[in-house]
Amino acid sequence: MVINEQKHDDIDIVVLSGRFVMADSQDVRERLKSLIDEGKGKLVIDMEKVSFIDSSACAVLISAFKGMQLRSGRLILVTSPIVQSLIELTRLHTIFEILPTLPTALDAFSVN
Amino acid sequence: MIATNQKQDGITLKMTSAVEYISPLGEALHALCLYATGSESCALDVQRAAIEALNNVILHAYRNEPGHDITVRCYQENRQLRIEIIDGGISMSFLPQPVLPAFDAENGRGWWIINSCVDDYYYKVVEYIERERVLRPTDSNENVEITLVKPHVNILTLIKEF
Repeated sequence: MVINEQKHDDIDIVVLSGRFVMADSQDVRERLKSLIDEGKGKLVIDMEKVSFIDSSACAVLISAFKGMQLRSGRLILVTSPIVQSLIELTRLHTIFEILPTLPTALDAFSVN
Repeated sequence: MIATNQKQDGITLKMTSAVEYISPLGEALHALCLYATGSESCALDVQRAAIEALNNVILHAYRNEPGHDITVRCYQENRQLRIEIIDGGISMSFLPQPVLPAFDAENGRGWWIINSCVDDYYYKVVEYIERERVLRPTDSNENVEITLVKPHVNILTLIKEF
């Protein structure tokens, strides 16, 4: 899996592409943790190009969510259809803020 | 990873207990199921369930130790795909309930995903005992019994109808 970090004003963006499974979880978890610890409380995880996730990926996303909550920050997910279907299967769509595209997610920060 | 085509047993894939092999094996299963069923959603369900099961084998049966064997056998019976995930690690004494954990729990979603993605599943622990009875030509017709306990195997069978 490829992990790409970007910045848009004070918003941290992590773009993931490929398969997000147990072998990748630790690496993603550490990258997200450092962004959350050092960032300004605005994070987008863009998974539009993620072709498959498993429950270990869900664990990493939940960890990031909890980390942002502790800092009163805001996390937005951008998902692909396959990612969205697993998030809905595990009912996590009830806790995550999910938007369809990266531009929409970036706009959401400026609206609020 | 080794793939073999055994005529009566479907296709057998073997991997060693390292996390980096789970994903390619999952993709191979996806392709096999897509070929057998023609259904992308069926193949995705099988891949999801199998990958969760393989995660569990590595984490729990083999306690993250590398170098152990995992076998995945995939075969078709009528309109059912059967996927057997076979390991020689620590056996489960019960099947976990397929329920979702608290929303903020990081772990514990695997069995829910498995249960949601397949039509049925069951788990077997197969124990092998070899018993030898040695007869010797003595007056008392003595015989000796030797019992050997061979390594067991755990088999999780996933069933997907199409």
